[in-house]
Amino acid sequence: MCMKKMIAVVAVALLGLAACGEADNAAVPGPSKTGKDVIGKAPVAAASDILPGSTMEKIKSRGELLVGGSLDAPLLSQQNPATGEVEGFDATMGKALAKYIIGEPKVKIVNSASETREALLANGTVDVVFQTYTITEERAKQVAFAGPYYTSGLTIAVKQGTSGIAKPEDLNGKKVIAGANTPAIPAIKKLAPQAEIVTFGSDPECLQALKQDRGVAYVQDETLLIAAAQKDPAIQIVTKPFTVDPYGIGLKHGDEQMKKFVNDWLGKIQADGTWQQIWKDSIGTVVQGDAPQPPKIGSVPGS
Amino acid sequence: MSVLLDHLPELWQGLVVTLQLTAASFLGAAVLGVVVTALRVSPVRVLRAIGTAYVETFQNLPLLVLLVLAFFGLPEIGVKAEPLTTAIVVISVYEAAYVGEALRSGVNSVSKGQGEAARAIGLTFTQSLRHVILPQALRTVVQPLGNIAIALIMNTALAGAVSIVELTTAAKNVNLVEAQPIPIFVGAGIAYALLAALVGLVTGRLERRLVILR
Amino acid sequence: MSTVLFDEPGPKARRRIRVATVLGTLAVVALAVLAVRQFAANGQLDADRWQPYATWPMWRYLLTGLGSTALAAVVSAALSMAFGLVLALGRLSHRRWVRGPAACYVEVVRVIPALLLVYVVLFALPRYGLDLPLFWKLAVPLTLSNAAAFAEIFRAGILSVERGQTEAGLAIGLTRWRTMRLIVLPQAARRVLPSIVSQSVGLLKDTSLGYVVSYGELLFSSKVLANYNGLLIQTYIVVAAVYLVVNMSLSKLARTLEARQRAGRTLSGRSSARA
Repeated sequence: MCMKKMIAVVAVALLGLAACGEADNAAVPGPSKTGKDVIGKAPVAAASDILPGSTMEKIKSRGELLVGGSLDAPLLSQQNPATGEVEGFDATMGKALAKYIIGEPKVKIVNSASETREALLANGTVDVVFQTYTITEERAKQVAFAGPYYTSGLTIAVKQGTSGIAKPEDLNGKKVIAGANTPAIPAIKKLAPQAEIVTFGSDPECLQALKQDRGVAYVQDETLLIAAAQKDPAIQIVTKPFTVDPYGIGLKHGDEQMKKFVNDWLGKIQADGTWQQIWKDSIGTVVQGDAPQPPKIGSVPGS
Repeated sequence: MSVLLDHLPELWQGLVVTLQLTAASFLGAAVLGVVVTALRVSPVRVLRAIGTAYVETFQNLPLLVLLVLAFFGLPEIGVKAEPLTTAIVVISVYEAAYVGEALRSGVNSVSKGQGEAARAIGLTFTQSLRHVILPQALRTVVQPLGNIAIALIMNTALAGAVSIVELTTAAKNVNLVEAQPIPIFVGAGIAYALLAALVGLVTGRLERRLVILR
Repeated sequence: MSTVLFDEPGPKARRRIRVATVLGTLAVVALAVLAVRQFAANGQLDADRWQPYATWPMWRYLLTGLGSTALAAVVSAALSMAFGLVLALGRLSHRRWVRGPAACYVEVVRVIPALLLVYVVLFALPRYGLDLPLFWKLAVPLTLSNAAAFAEIFRAGILSVERGQTEAGLAIGLTRWRTMRLIVLPQAARRVLPSIVSQSVGLLKDTSLGYVVSYGELLFSSKVLANYNGLLIQTYIVVAAVYLVVNMSLSKLARTLEARQRAGRTLSGRSSARA
């Protein structure tokens, strides 16, 4: 039986390679149209809004918006290997902003390790950062934040059938999985100081580790866990989000002109339904229901 | 500097894990390496082929890939162990390829007459390897083995990828909290340098004691 | 050497070897079957878990990653060889103020994990205003750490050239530097070629640290892939196979070079003997 499977695998592999993969399997990515239609309808700034000598004018004359982002954040900013396009909520927001400034959604994503975003903005390597960039007063000393444009929170997933974990405090004394360098680590340390944190480099690694009992719980952003739980029945979410992380659009510190411009844009796309459509095309594919109420611009200390 | 003192327990724990990984993996690599060498010089062609395949495979795969693959893949074929155990086994298996190569070049450096003499007085393959060839081979490979040990210490840093908090990961974690990279990483670097210096000292001593004065 | 350690096996021994081979093979096959069964029982062999790797876009993506791996490896190798040569010459200099720092660099960097250097470039330098582009966050630490290794290889090579060569060079009135460049280095370079290739294979393996700095080399590409399709184990098996093929080819090149060089040396040895 194994042998048959093996042979099947090899045969499929050969056939697939020969046919250059025209399978319509779910795991086989094809060109995705996420974000295409919505960008078509997204607004473009009036010429008078692009003030002379401003950052916006510089971007427009360059013809490309440089965005600090990730390539490996599913639903938010994930590269589609089939097309090379970066897809998801953050990525599409970046494209919409590029269209607003330039008239075309021309974006170059600069993959930034999250520790260096402040530096990338300060030395002008990127114009904006869309990367689950939680607004904090601490960070606001080094960067300017437009937004918040989205609010998320951390939650806890366990393997199906695990009992005894219903709130963050229950993690005390247990082995807890978290992604390396994610906000989950300080949050666990604060709410469950006696938890033993084990870290892995990526979301699928954390999920695999959870399934292999390397830890009893996995703390991660709600969106990612919802997506995981939907794909894999072995994974179960046990709490409502227990943190509030308002994501901001990172800009160069002190660039008030750009900040106002981006906030105006954000207000416009929230009013005309573009924001909601971007949400539906990305996070909305795993979270049921309508798009949530977008957070109020400037409502968070530091924004 | 005070950062180092404030977080001394965590860093110390990291150093202890690094030491555990190093000691256990080097022991494992040494034992396995001897086996690999024996395979590579054995009379049976199949065994020689196995030895060669072993060295070829493990010298040509990045340790990081091996670690991640073993950590997540082995439980899927029914072999599950503690992360530390998995890391020790993987590093042992990986470094054994290098130890095997070093030992083999050591065996080749023993003059042919020694082997012939051993055989002439009626020793078997195993006996001549054990009593005549390997003891002499070991002398010439003390230095290369020392280098492998140092490389092994450096490589234990990769165990961080499979959730083991050894010295480098401990330093990174402390830096995430304190954001004072220079003292933290320099401190860790000094600890590694001291470990390597210790290895150098030991190999130097060994070499002096084992060297044959002709 | 190895051939003098045993007699050619006789008929009895050969029979025993054959039996042991068959038994051994059976045992290994049985273990493998057990492992594969368990692997399949966990659903890891299901066709739909492998199918993505039968499609061209996935391979195109992985090959792009491999391209970045090659770029990082080639650039780091070139830079670290140049730097390593300078260090090796420095260490062999007869001026103490040159020799000291070069030796110090080599001895210190040789014992610091490349990963730690990566963290320094990744976390420490940006705080002091030096935020390198992603590519250099990988290439710089690799260059720094491999330069020390190359320096030692070059130094060993230079030292292996007989003293008489240098003395002869100096005797015919060449300067120290010209003697080194025209006489010693060309001979040393040929001798260390195999070591250089195997160190380069090591460097290529080290580029997998791009995973940590999120530079899009092969291992990081596989991380992005696994994030996209959730097929962690399959992805890493495929990537391991790619590394194996590439590095084995390089290692084979090293062996060919070594063999050719050995042949060359015996040849020249013979001709000089004739002379």
